[in-house]
Amino acid sequence: MIERWALISGLKGDLDTYELIQKDLKKTPGNITLFVLGDMIGPEKNCNKLLHRLINPKSNDLQPWCIYGWWEEQILLESGYRGNQRAEALRINKGEEVVKSLINAVDKSFLDWIAALQFGFVELDCGLIHGSSKDVGDDLTLDTPPLTLLDRLTRLQVNRLFTARSTQQFHLELTEGILNSEVHDLTGNHKKEQKVPQKAVIGVGAGKNYTLYDVGTDNTQFVRAGYQSEKKKNGFGLHF
Amino acid sequence: MNQAVISCLHANLPAVEAVLKDIELQGITNITCLGDLVGYGPQPNEVIELIKEKKIATCQGCWDEDVVDGLDACDCSYPSQIAERRGHFAHQWTTEKLTKENKDFLANLPYSIRKDKCLFVHGSPNSQHEYLLPDMDAFAALERVENAKAEILFCGHTHQPYIRELANGSIAVKVKNSGSKDIQKKEMNLPMRRIVNAGSVGEPRHGGTKATYVVYNDITDDVKIREVEYDIELTCKAIINAGLPPIFAWRLKNGFEFAERAEDASHVCER
Repeated sequence: MIERWALISGLKGDLDTYELIQKDLKKTPGNITLFVLGDMIGPEKNCNKLLHRLINPKSNDLQPWCIYGWWEEQILLESGYRGNQRAEALRINKGEEVVKSLINAVDKSFLDWIAALQFGFVELDCGLIHGSSKDVGDDLTLDTPPLTLLDRLTRLQVNRLFTARSTQQFHLELTEGILNSEVHDLTGNHKKEQKVPQKAVIGVGAGKNYTLYDVGTDNTQFVRAGYQSEKKKNGFGLHF
Repeated sequence: MNQAVISCLHANLPAVEAVLKDIELQGITNITCLGDLVGYGPQPNEVIELIKEKKIATCQGCWDEDVVDGLDACDCSYPSQIAERRGHFAHQWTTEKLTKENKDFLANLPYSIRKDKCLFVHGSPNSQHEYLLPDMDAFAALERVENAKAEILFCGHTHQPYIRELANGSIAVKVKNSGSKDIQKKEMNLPMRRIVNAGSVGEPRHGGTKATYVVYNDITDDVKIREVEYDIELTCKAIINAGLPPIFAWRLKNGFEFAERAEDASHVCER
């Protein structure tokens, strides 16, 4: 049976969207593993029902494997889970009201569960992270310089990096390239030619936009919950 | 015009004096120091005072930072537990010996110094604790220089002097997003950049016993690694007399190549 990963993020308390995705995935062929790449919470709506559902899946739900995202990091900071640090970046950029809304959106009883979430998963040769191997807030997009993308892949020693922070859906593959390195030290000159390894960074989307990844074929499919797979409907499934 | 770049002095006064003398003999007055004035060696106050007296532009090294802020680097800084214990002992010894004025001096050092197209840092632009080793992934090395918006990155920390030129690079990418049916192909040329590691004045780990530093000519862009002999016996005796671990003296005396550094050069301490 085909092994597929479903990669979702940015639900921000939206249980309806999560249920829609669960419904979609039940119809999707293959053996599916569901990864939730953070931002399960947000300041806009009460997140308790979604968190409860993620922690206590219904009997017919796909088991969600969750990591923490940028919004989880903010609530942990603000709630004293990161030593003396507080969510200052959030406070400065969005204001005190948003900080308060975030705190009010999540019952304190969920904080220990959030604090126990991992930064990311490494599955096979793939890294699954909210931001990047550098930082949970690292915003990787199509416009991020390839050198930076290579660095993030290299740090994690993976060939595929699935990221969610930007909320965008994209598949960027580093196909070829070269760099000459010449080191001069006290023992002489050492020349080396390094080639770009075939690696890719995949933006998985957010909310209703999520990504299906066929582990066996390395194919990526961008999907919008509640619709048939865009691959089938519009024929823009990706075959890298 | 020639300028000298020194790094990793490590409280070794005879080595620092010898290197400054060598610089002076070449008529060089523009000196930049990449930090780690203290740690391991027996004369932390003396070395700081000499740097202050000579008004040498200095950025903060990992030891300088830790002496001020406390040991908060993760244990990636050491390759073994015994090395870590020795390092912590030297840290405590140095903290006790340093005067308040000299601690304040270390506390106020900048993380980096920028001069035109050159950036001077201790470890890397990311962290004072990150090692830019000569054999690190070439693309990752180039990323460090490029993201720092520099053309030449001067660093230390590894105690191994080298000049690395990264040139004739290109990357091709295939991109696809959800809003488009097309697959776009892009190819870009990468800029030529250099990383210059100044080695170490006070605790060489390149396989020799001589202090090392570099001379950079900002007109020709030429960089030369200099090796300088100094009175190693004097430093070794001072290490023993100070009660510091004798292995620190043995390392200097034998030009021990072993570097007390993390296995994973790309690792950055989460602080």
